[in-house]
Amino acid sequence: MKTSIIYLFIFSFLFTSACNSRSNEQTFDSSKLPRASEEKIEKLVEDFIMVEDGGTITIEPLFYDLKTQLILDNKKNVKIQGAGMEESVLSFRNLKSGGEGVKIVGENILIEDFSIEDAPGDGIKSQHTDGITFRKLNVTWTNGDKSKNGTYAIYPVQCKNVVIDGCIASHSKDAGIYVGQSENIIVKNSLAFGNVAGIEIENCDNAEVYDNMARDNAGGILVFNLPGLPKSDGHGTKIYNNAVIDNNHENFATPLGDGPNGNTVTMIPPGSGIILLAAKEVEIFNNQILRNKTTGVAIASYQITGFPAEAPNWSPYSHDIYVHDNSYERTLKLPDLTRELGQLISVYNAHGKAKTQDIIYDGIWDKEISESIESNPMKICIQEKGIEKMHFTRFYLMDGEDKIESFKDYKHFQGCNVNVSTDVSSLTSLLPL
Amino acid sequence: MKRRLFIFLLFLIPVFNSCKENSESKQLTQSTPLAEEIADGKLPYKRLSTYAFFEGEIKDLQPNQSIIPYEPASSLFTDYALKSRFISVPEGQKVRLENGELNFPTGTVLIKNFYYSSDLNKPEVDKRIIETRLLINTEEGWEAFPYIWNEEQTDALLKVVGGEKEVKFFDLEGEEQVINYLIPNKNQCKTCHNKSEDLAPIGVKVKHLNNEKEFESGRKNQLEFWQERGILEGFSRKDNYPALVNYQDESQALSERAMAYLDINCSHCHQEEGPASTSGLFLEFDQKDPMKLGVMKTPVAAGNGAGTFDFDILPGKANKSILTYRMNSTEVGIAMPELGRTTVHKEGVKLIREWINAMNE
Repeated sequence: MKTSIIYLFIFSFLFTSACNSRSNEQTFDSSKLPRASEEKIEKLVEDFIMVEDGGTITIEPLFYDLKTQLILDNKKNVKIQGAGMEESVLSFRNLKSGGEGVKIVGENILIEDFSIEDAPGDGIKSQHTDGITFRKLNVTWTNGDKSKNGTYAIYPVQCKNVVIDGCIASHSKDAGIYVGQSENIIVKNSLAFGNVAGIEIENCDNAEVYDNMARDNAGGILVFNLPGLPKSDGHGTKIYNNAVIDNNHENFATPLGDGPNGNTVTMIPPGSGIILLAAKEVEIFNNQILRNKTTGVAIASYQITGFPAEAPNWSPYSHDIYVHDNSYERTLKLPDLTRELGQLISVYNAHGKAKTQDIIYDGIWDKEISESIESNPMKICIQEKGIEKMHFTRFYLMDGEDKIESFKDYKHFQGCNVNVSTDVSSLTSLLPL
Repeated sequence: MKRRLFIFLLFLIPVFNSCKENSESKQLTQSTPLAEEIADGKLPYKRLSTYAFFEGEIKDLQPNQSIIPYEPASSLFTDYALKSRFISVPEGQKVRLENGELNFPTGTVLIKNFYYSSDLNKPEVDKRIIETRLLINTEEGWEAFPYIWNEEQTDALLKVVGGEKEVKFFDLEGEEQVINYLIPNKNQCKTCHNKSEDLAPIGVKVKHLNNEKEFESGRKNQLEFWQERGILEGFSRKDNYPALVNYQDESQALSERAMAYLDINCSHCHQEEGPASTSGLFLEFDQKDPMKLGVMKTPVAAGNGAGTFDFDILPGKANKSILTYRMNSTEVGIAMPELGRTTVHKEGVKLIREWINAMNE
């Protein structure tokens, strides 16, 4: 035991890169843009209110310093058109009230080519909208102190037929791109960096997340199902062809020194590539999952949060999960120790203390299905090439903290078959207005 | 095993410490000359005066015969603004009470005036009206129109983009308050006035009006009074309908007062048909499911609003509950409700704290 501590001690000093990183990177500097006059700002607020079905709201190549929300309410076939991410900027730094900068409710809405900065709550939220496309939209926060940043950057919730394409979401305190309680979803060609969570699909059905880059977040891509929501559980997500890289940013969802709170995102250990929590029917394939210092993939059940895990029409277990044909790369960075899940992985994994893991499974299963986990009751299927050389850990956590065990054996989770079906083909035709 | 973890953590502290490399108009409305307007029936009018709701000097808000005052049992908090409310039902038509809901004829107008007195202990002295909000029931449903009063208090003009006004007053405890009163833009109205994405009144519901109010002719149940005045049909006996208490009435049970407060202040959003249904937190007066009410319920998208806490309501522990934390904040992104207040409603926070503290742990 003593030697291992000394080893760690030296290790820690040699690799100061063990630190959680922190980024304030901006893709461009909006302060150089010409500023919109009071009249132009008022005109834009009015355009959002007065636009008619089929109309277009134009955002000029200016920096708009807004003091009130922009709300589009119950309109159909409306396009909100900027002059480019680096040309048209809506700043909500001086917003006096309201939960988000831009709010959209309607049908078949296209939003493209502008930036949103510094909204105190969420950047852009759409709710109860059938047909919503976010294209080439950049949503960010420019505060030096990131604990002051807003919650979600791009936030469709309770929507149908959602496309997020070519967007950038950065520095949000929760998820950069967050799709909640929605169905039929594409998130593609987008970049999420510097957020606590890069891309999150929560309580959703039928989602595909592909060709994205999630880098330098605390957690790269998340699929969660939380209890007690109107959309009680979600099924069917494919995550493929994404780069999930260097997600070692500190978790700033709570201020430095404060522990996690009831927001699940506050528990994410920095260094997490892809996290599944109470997720159902998820396929993860052909992704580059590289240099995430804690774990590449984490498959977990809601019980691991320690919160009450009962709700109607909802299951706390992750099940029907298929992970295959991804590539992984570990570095010598130390796994996270700031969050309980990070500590669990650092200390109790099956490959040795302070070793980064490629895939972890919390091993919490439903005993009503099987007495033993060896029959793979939750259908967790892992088919990775070279798995024998990977760091795979299955934990045993069901007897509490005093009896935590871990296992390298991946064989129970191989040779199984999970069919995850999604269909978002109708969404591509919805795009052009 | 635990001790080993502790030591392990201890040795890593210097590493983590070495990481901390980074650290961090007001708009005065001037009375612009505006051409006289003719009441041609094409709503909305640009001037409030065109509607001719009031007799004598408009700033006295003296209703003419065609409009009737009303007052919900508990009032939605709006930065300590005082309110006078009226309903205008088109002549010869009636509000119909069906299945417990009030259905308003097209052309109904709800008139809500927001004003301050220089001393809140003397509400009728030195009044300054800030805005009047009209909810008009059009062919396409309810629409909201904010009118901002001029400094001379001779009229108010329609301003869909909203605005901001500095207001000074002495509060109920005699302390001077200066606030930036925010007038919502037209679409912000729907942040609260929203039922399944249709604009809907908040205070004009049976549960809020099924109580007595002082009228010029004497004290009477408001809905009975409406029926008597011929603008309502279908109201039978008051006991057949729910009635919320006035949360300020300390003779009422604490839980009744708290639920009345949450209902009028929160449930327009926090209900299954409201915009905050996303949260799973439902705060209607008759909510019985503890989890939906927030008891031991973790937040979903609260962000900064969660503070350092785990649950919306931790029974017996108001100072560890997200509900009171958000009510007690004025920071955008934390403060609840999201709109309509820039100050803390001290009396409301106190009530909800008492209610949570009285819950069994």
